[in-house]
Amino acid sequence: MIKTVNLTKIFRTDEVETTALNKVTFEVKKGEFVAIMGPSGCGKSTLLNILGLLDNPSNGDYYFSDHEVSKFNERHRAKLRKENIGFVFQNFNLIDELTVFENIELPLIYLGMSSGKRKMRVGEVMDQMQISHRKKHFPLQLSGGQQQRVAVARAIVAEPRLILADEPTGNLDSTHGEEVMTLIENLNQAGTTVIIVTHSQRDAEYAQRIVQLFDGQIITENIKKRFI
Amino acid sequence: MIGNYIKVAYRNVIKRKLYSIINTTGLALGIASFFIIALYIIDELSYDRYNTKAEKIYRICQIYDFGGVGENSASLPFPVAFTLKSDYPDMIDEVVRIFNYQSPRSLMVYEDKRFVEKGLFFADSTFFDVFDHEFVKGNPETALDKNYSVVITESMADKYFGNEDPIGKTIKFEETYSLFVTGIIKDVPGHSHFHFDFIASMTSVERVYGGRLPQTWVWNPCWTYIVLNKNVNPGQLEKMFPDFVNKYFYDAEKDNVTLYLQPLTDIHLKSRLDYEIEANSNIAYLYILGGIGIFLLIIASINFMNLSTATSSSRAKEIGMKKVVGAYRTQLICQFIGESIIMTLVALVIALIMVEITLPTFNNFTDKNIDLNILLEPTYLFSIIGLVLIIGILSGVYPSFYLSAISPISVLRGSTGKENGSAIARKVLVVLQFTISIMLIIGTVIIFKQLQFLQKTDPGFNKENIIVIPVSRTPIVGKYDVFKGELMANPSIVSVTAMDDVFGSAHNTHEFRPEGFPDNKWQFYPALVVQYDFIKTFGLEILAGRDYNEKNQTDPITGIIINEAMVKHVGWCSNEEAIGKIFRSLQGREKVIGVINDFNATSLHKSSGPFVINMKESRSSIAWFLNYVAIRITPGAHDDLHGFLEEKWNEFVENRPFEYFFLDEELKKLYKEENNLSTLSLIFTIMVLFIAALGLLGLSSYMAEKRTKEIGIRKVMGASGFRIISLLTIEFLKLIIIANIIAWPLAYFIINDWLHHFAYQTPVSWYIFLISGLATMGMALIITSVKAYTASRTNPADTLKYE
Repeated sequence: MIKTVNLTKIFRTDEVETTALNKVTFEVKKGEFVAIMGPSGCGKSTLLNILGLLDNPSNGDYYFSDHEVSKFNERHRAKLRKENIGFVFQNFNLIDELTVFENIELPLIYLGMSSGKRKMRVGEVMDQMQISHRKKHFPLQLSGGQQQRVAVARAIVAEPRLILADEPTGNLDSTHGEEVMTLIENLNQAGTTVIIVTHSQRDAEYAQRIVQLFDGQIITENIKKRFI
Repeated sequence: MIGNYIKVAYRNVIKRKLYSIINTTGLALGIASFFIIALYIIDELSYDRYNTKAEKIYRICQIYDFGGVGENSASLPFPVAFTLKSDYPDMIDEVVRIFNYQSPRSLMVYEDKRFVEKGLFFADSTFFDVFDHEFVKGNPETALDKNYSVVITESMADKYFGNEDPIGKTIKFEETYSLFVTGIIKDVPGHSHFHFDFIASMTSVERVYGGRLPQTWVWNPCWTYIVLNKNVNPGQLEKMFPDFVNKYFYDAEKDNVTLYLQPLTDIHLKSRLDYEIEANSNIAYLYILGGIGIFLLIIASINFMNLSTATSSSRAKEIGMKKVVGAYRTQLICQFIGESIIMTLVALVIALIMVEITLPTFNNFTDKNIDLNILLEPTYLFSIIGLVLIIGILSGVYPSFYLSAISPISVLRGSTGKENGSAIARKVLVVLQFTISIMLIIGTVIIFKQLQFLQKTDPGFNKENIIVIPVSRTPIVGKYDVFKGELMANPSIVSVTAMDDVFGSAHNTHEFRPEGFPDNKWQFYPALVVQYDFIKTFGLEILAGRDYNEKNQTDPITGIIINEAMVKHVGWCSNEEAIGKIFRSLQGREKVIGVINDFNATSLHKSSGPFVINMKESRSSIAWFLNYVAIRITPGAHDDLHGFLEEKWNEFVENRPFEYFFLDEELKKLYKEENNLSTLSLIFTIMVLFIAALGLLGLSSYMAEKRTKEIGIRKVMGASGFRIISLLTIEFLKLIIIANIIAWPLAYFIINDWLHHFAYQTPVSWYIFLISGLATMGMALIITSVKAYTASRTNPADTLKYE
């Protein structure tokens, strides 16, 4: 599903050049659950941004569903993103001015889905995430766990083939954290490919494979579980 | 998707109330002011256009040019109109003359009602074929056909006849002849260059001139209008004028006469001729006001842009997330422009309410009758929609491009993107805003100063403490010497004289032939026909020779007084040399007995020039030229004198209301347009400053909020409150200084250009620039300090903990 070859990302300011990713080559197969781990500043989030088509690499190739996408322009990437990828963030990134329902609905709006269909689909996802009773609330009226469930709901509402989660439990207590990880695991078991970036060994345990990143390079790929 | 846009926009507005209020109020004030100015301009541009033939109606005007002296007259000799029509029947559909004896006051009497009216005119029966006036009663085709018929306005019908039917009733004119009311029309619209209350048939005048209208081609008291044939353009007719002048005007003057056409619709805004029916407006002032209106919109839009980009960080997450879930940049641009249009619509509604509330006061002040409903006309309605779209798009376009460019990654990292770029753009906009504000302050101050200058400048004579009584066609004319004698018996009266026009406001031109000029040619020079003590009453200075002397019996027949400019014009080497020179007039050989100082015989829009002071001898001439009595009183004596003057008036004039005015007050009216302009520019400049201040308040509040952490850290490091305030205000002060540097030269050039419209100009002093600069800096300092002070008082422990 995803393959990178010698993926390199260099950030340049006037005086400093920082190599965030250094010739990263790895592959994620359809239906896989991969955790990327490593210390702060090792390039995890940069990798995730490139995999999520939010950013382009400086060098190297990135194949998404066998298409080389590293040179795609913003409009092309946006199209690919909205049709294939769902995102979950550490700080939830819900839009404060929109209600729970409206936040979840957002990706469907940009997919051009009709209002009736949207309503139905958002309803299903809210039921699935058990947040239907909060549909009219605004993010700031919810607990952290509830907010992350809304974020997960938003990530999956368009039924993406790939979910990218960046420290999804980083802002949650352990109970809520587990709840969210279970949700993600369930999604993976239902066939969605999942890549998470995490510091937490416990979260990484949910994955079938852990990729260790250090100074922008993959140092180990530990296949935990057999890929089914 | 649009529903989503509106929801987000609405919730953002509610969430940031202060900024939303500043944004919307500023924009609404800007739009409201723009509308008021636009309504004023629309009204000014609509003058005379209600006439269905407006585009084909022209006024014929006449230039008398005698080596740069003479007149550019709005009126013509009696015979011109119909002679022209009979010579060029295929080119001219209609002609009409309007005449008022060159005397704006007429006594009108109906039963026991007696009023001195300024709105009586005599016109040819074709009047209503040329101009559109709605008849309430009577037939426009025949209303002016008969001798002594008069058409009156509804107001006059009400004033004189109340509930009676005026048709067929008679109003007595100057107690000499009766005018029969043949028609009632609606009051003349405000946007007409010429307002009347009574139009009487021109033939009624014939009796006064011995049975037929004056046949002279010199005296030019008739405002003459023509309707050009639809296939003829004005240039074609104007080409005929030289031949026409050559054929009919007298040999002695025809080389110096030029006729030309003036479009009816140009009169109100572009005409400032001699003998205008009413004082006209000036198109230059519309440009100034229009400029201020556009500046107001720009400044209000800049506020909108500035606050939108400044507060963008609070929307970064929304934008970032929308991009993450697949929003295209164009969709986001549309969203923000849409929001901007919605905000503009809201501001528009508030603005319309503001206009509706303030319009009556504005109308009162500008003496207009502007109705907001004008804006419902399709042209204006579409213009407003266009305006909302333009303001909405223009104000939204920068923020939308800026906001939509925010990278989702930077949002995910917690940064708000290109703050540097937008900060620079914001600074540029603040500088632009204040450049405009400073220019307007300087402009307004200069306009005020020029107005003061015009009103205070010594016109070359003493206009203070002079009471003027209009006396034309009253018994006082025949008994002037007795009247004067009785007035002079009062110790509060210093001197008394009489004249044919109000000195300092208007004058005629008369034919003269100074020594050394060709024998067969008259020169037409500005002149006043006066009575004894004119020089004394107006405080003029005799530079050579002497004043008229009552003991010298021949003075009125043979003596003439000229000013210094006339001496130069004729080419005499000195004032002394001029004394005794022959100056022929229609009275015969006259001699220069005195030379006086130069003075402004009309407004200071024109420079002073050659002038003749003359006396008439024959009784009939005196009767014709004795229109105003001027009385110099001792300062402060007015209250005591009013009763005395009225008593004397009533002794001499029966049953005619006593009227008088102060010369200095009357002369101020010459600058009515400048007065209006200065007040309007003051009001709108204050508005501009207010909107700019509002924007600065919003921006500085936001900046202070944004720098909360920095302020906290600085306080921990030991910065004093004063240092914090300086930190926050100095940045804005720098911008205002830059704005001053840009505004000063621009203002200087524009103001100088405007001042060139005047023959006399107030100096453009450097301190006006300095004061405007200091005033804007002071304003910025106060506004930015308010929020900076609050920020400097916060406890760093709170702000840093919060961070």
